Amino acid sequence: MSQRFVRPASWRGWLVLAGFVAVIVAGIWPVIGWINRPTLVAGLPAVAAWSYLIIFACCAVMALGNRLVAEEDGDDD
Amino acid sequence: MTSSLPLIITLGYVAIAMVIGLRARGGRSMSSLEEWGVAGRSMGPVTLYLLIAAGSVSAYTFMGAPGWAYAKGIPVFYVAIYLAYLALVAWYFGPKVWAFGERFGHVTQASAIADRYQSPALGALAALVMSVGSVAYAVLQTIGSAYILFVMSGGRIPIWAGVILVLSCIAVYLYASGQRAIGKTNAFQGVLMLIVAWCIGLWATHSATGSWSFGAVFARLQREHPEFLTLPGASGDMSFAFWTTSILVSMVSFMPPVWTQWMSASSARTIRRSATWLPTYYLVILPMVVVGFIGIFSLPELARADTVALEYAMQHLPALLVGLLGAGTLAASMSSCEPFLHSVALTCSRDVLQPALKLSDRQAGRLARWLLFPLMALVVAPLAIAEPGNLVMILLIGLGFASQVLPAFVGMFLWPRATRAGVAAGILAGFVITVAFTTLWPHPLGIHAGFWGLLVNLPLFVLVSRVTTPTEAAVVERFFRIAAPWRYRSVARRSSSLTPATAGAAPVSARREEP
Repeated sequence: MSQRFVRPASWRGWLVLAGFVAVIVAGIWPVIGWINRPTLVAGLPAVAAWSYLIIFACCAVMALGNRLVAEEDGDDD
Repeated sequence: MTSSLPLIITLGYVAIAMVIGLRARGGRSMSSLEEWGVAGRSMGPVTLYLLIAAGSVSAYTFMGAPGWAYAKGIPVFYVAIYLAYLALVAWYFGPKVWAFGERFGHVTQASAIADRYQSPALGALAALVMSVGSVAYAVLQTIGSAYILFVMSGGRIPIWAGVILVLSCIAVYLYASGQRAIGKTNAFQGVLMLIVAWCIGLWATHSATGSWSFGAVFARLQREHPEFLTLPGASGDMSFAFWTTSILVSMVSFMPPVWTQWMSASSARTIRRSATWLPTYYLVILPMVVVGFIGIFSLPELARADTVALEYAMQHLPALLVGLLGAGTLAASMSSCEPFLHSVALTCSRDVLQPALKLSDRQAGRLARWLLFPLMALVVAPLAIAEPGNLVMILLIGLGFASQVLPAFVGMFLWPRATRAGVAAGILAGFVITVAFTTLWPHPLGIHAGFWGLLVNLPLFVLVSRVTTPTEAAVVERFFRIAAPWRYRSVARRSSSLTPATAGAAPVSARREEP
């Protein structure tokens, strides 16, 4: 059995991994530093609006994962 | 505030939670660990969504988060982000944890650790140390519950009586219905919190600005106190480094109750469906945070920041909404307290006392239920009433440990070569660093103590794992057939092209084979 770290086995898996990494990077430095301004976006402070954008992006990435890799990953009912 | 309506509403909530918790049993026998501990792995996606959501939204949302907004401003939103990331963690790891439980009979996090590393001692150590943090967390939530009853009753229900009332209520329905009680009550509490938070947030905004839009609050804040709208916040202590490392450390802290919640799902797919939409629940934080921002103008001289929502409600909102806020805050603290108490009783019985006393599963199941009473009466209640000054420190140390257990999970899901010695070395070193950087030299260079711990923990874990004897191959393969099934499918395909007769041979016995 291979002793290496587990990695995605298909382009679908890599795509979902890239989505996960992207939303995580979006919430931390340095990205959050670029958002950090005392301006309002849709009535909310920029960082607050960004936080909620990340929340919905997380949902979108997981929904994409459900379509692309859930079966490949061995989900069963 | 002289009206007794808030107290009636708050006590009404307690009565409804009690009835729901007791009825959750539905005539089932609770004598097995599988039934009492993980609800017979039966929860559907909606119940699971509310179970996890309400469990993670503690009294912090109704008291701490508005307090942070009031004292610091925008840094409070790090909570919304890390909670959303916890949903990503649940989406990826939850189905695998569920499959481990379903196939190997695990009902706790520590039993999975003991199984993967073939070390009951490592499982017992994880169970005991996680229990310290869990008890401290449950005590803080109980104090929050008692405080709400104290405020809603205008001081007529003293803290000690509130502690006894709340713990008695939880003890009775947890004993009777176990994880099913947590599932049903959290579903009710989750819906209640969502409704209450938005009612309070919108009403407070209207009473403060004459508008129903949160934008009016933030526009005024932008004009008068722009330092609240950017990091590091008005108190200047949420640097980019602390924001980033707090989020990352919180994201990789696998608390035992969450593990139990995943195992309670009816299927692996149920967890994925719940996790996918879980972040939407965290919209509940926004309106309560807005109340904290309103307090910056309306209650500038407040002594305790975490009372800002309650103080504002009592001074400016109708009695009905004050009562709903009391019920919502109590729901938040109870819904977070009960999974931790349940988890401590479960893991102490299953992972510490069962192997030590050689108990059967049935005896361990009965013991777990009865452990609730001494746990509450002899540990949680006295601590909640005495409110020792170092309680928060105990909690921080417990949470510090939770973040340092990461190597155990890396070895379970991502790296087959991880060994028992590597995990133990990593955890020990990471824990020492985290405790030192929490208590002696808090967060050097503005970086979270748990992150420093991981910087030492993970390399040491890899190094020691590389030079020590691996866990028995059959055990590792049993886990990685679930954690990375595609590895075995590709092996099977290669084998079938060479020797068709042996291609499907499964080398490890398991309770249920791969479909």
